[in-house]
Amino acid sequence: MTSIEVQDLTKEYGGKRAVDGLTFRVLPGRVTGFLGPNGAGKSTTMRLVLGLDRPTAGTATLGGRAYPTLREPLRQVGALLDAQAAHGSRTARDHLRVLAASNRIPDRRVDEVLEETGLASVARRRVRTYSLGMRQRLGIAAALLGDPEVVMLDEPSNGLDPEGIVWIRQLLRRLAGEGRTVLVSSHLMNETASFADHLVVLGRGRLLADTPMRDFIDARVQPSVRIRTSDPAALRSALARHGHDAVEHVDGHWTVHHARVDDIGRVASAAGVPVLELAAEEGTLEQAYFDLTSAEAEFTTQPQEA
Amino acid sequence: MELTPVLRSEWLKIRTLRSLPGALLGLFAATTAFSAIAGVSGTSDPGFDPLFTALSGVVPGQIAAVSFGAMAVSSEFRSGALRLSLAAVPRRGRWFAAKAAVIAVPALLVGLVTALAALLVARAGLGPAADGLGTGEQVRGVVGCGVYLMLMALFAAGLAALLRSGVATLSLLIPFILVVSFVIGDATGTVADFLPDKAGQLVLRETYDGTLGPWSGLAVTALWAAAALLAGAWSLRRRDA
Repeated sequence: MTSIEVQDLTKEYGGKRAVDGLTFRVLPGRVTGFLGPNGAGKSTTMRLVLGLDRPTAGTATLGGRAYPTLREPLRQVGALLDAQAAHGSRTARDHLRVLAASNRIPDRRVDEVLEETGLASVARRRVRTYSLGMRQRLGIAAALLGDPEVVMLDEPSNGLDPEGIVWIRQLLRRLAGEGRTVLVSSHLMNETASFADHLVVLGRGRLLADTPMRDFIDARVQPSVRIRTSDPAALRSALARHGHDAVEHVDGHWTVHHARVDDIGRVASAAGVPVLELAAEEGTLEQAYFDLTSAEAEFTTQPQEA
Repeated sequence: MELTPVLRSEWLKIRTLRSLPGALLGLFAATTAFSAIAGVSGTSDPGFDPLFTALSGVVPGQIAAVSFGAMAVSSEFRSGALRLSLAAVPRRGRWFAAKAAVIAVPALLVGLVTALAALLVARAGLGPAADGLGTGEQVRGVVGCGVYLMLMALFAAGLAALLRSGVATLSLLIPFILVVSFVIGDATGTVADFLPDKAGQLVLRETYDGTLGPWSGLAVTALWAAAALLAGAWSLRRRDA
């Protein structure tokens, strides 16, 4: 199986470093989420992997080979970079047939990916009549065309309707389950959390993290426990006795920080505190991400001029 | 990567964009129409050249050939299309060679048919005024005209790859063609003889004077086209997609 290897990769545009000494590997059999704010270098890295831009320094390879040396590359690597890339005057089917012909992929496969991406019924319509969501699906169809071992998608959920978002999540899980190497960039945290096993996080072109998603969250967000009781005084004193720091909320529930649900359950039970609700509150990817990138964000919100 | 699948893919691109076959149809229609008009217009001009009169529809008609070459390339320079094309065919030199081939062949074939049709309709109008034309001259005019139109399409294709824009290419070439043809006119013996369109159009004339002949004139146009294609290929290979 093929992995993506990025080694000391640097790309400068007019003296500005878009990608700065990146080293990481994307392994097969899992979905790797590629995170970072706009301008962090995610798309640039993907273009460098595809040999579309030339690196200032370093290498990007697929199973040890540079992309331009691949014979019939669409059969090994499928990529979605820009959903607007299809010419508006072509039909979706012709757009895919053009790509298929260059890599000797049979037209039968064109119809398969159109079916798979839900575009079969509109395949003979011109692309200019397509919504953004349909163009995204067409871009994904193009990426899947050669049945590739490596799939790289840049912001695939852009413009998809809720149904499409569920569909792409299932698709990514299935591709990874089939042992393929899947790299998906996004800036939507909840969305990424729903499909990624592993994360590569960039900030200002540099690597900020390359870890399993669960580890990434656990290392940055302390778990807490949500509890509700009919006897707040008893709960407060029981928690205080065990050294737990608890916050009461206006709607009556409490949050115990830096605690595990097993411990709090025992404490409440031992003290005879009536418990109405008890739940673990796990850290979210969003919390972990902001913890990591708060110091790294390149573009902060500027006041808009009217 | 083999060349044949790349050629097939590029040919499919030309066929599936309505505007490109449309431009070739426009080449045929405009050239034969202007030649037909030239055929029935007066022949009193002392410098009257029956072969050039019959094929003169090419002068305006070539704008369609130039547009065909420019648009076939410039369709790749719209939002991300080039990246998609080069991800499928990363060998850029090979890709551009295939692109040039699928521009050249249809432009040549349509150019030949167009030239033959233009000659026939114009001769119908010219009548006895064109009786002095020999077979060899007419064959040379028709073949040369087809080759000339192909070269102009390739010249535009190379420029479009260099400038990365069809609009820029056409706004450079169309005024250039019109200025050279109508302002400099029939004046010979200047450096204008070596301009791509002026040099190549010598092959359309029954008689010619000056340093260039019909085939050497066409060779000058071929050099221009080759230079534009090489510059386009160089830019394509050097720059980030």
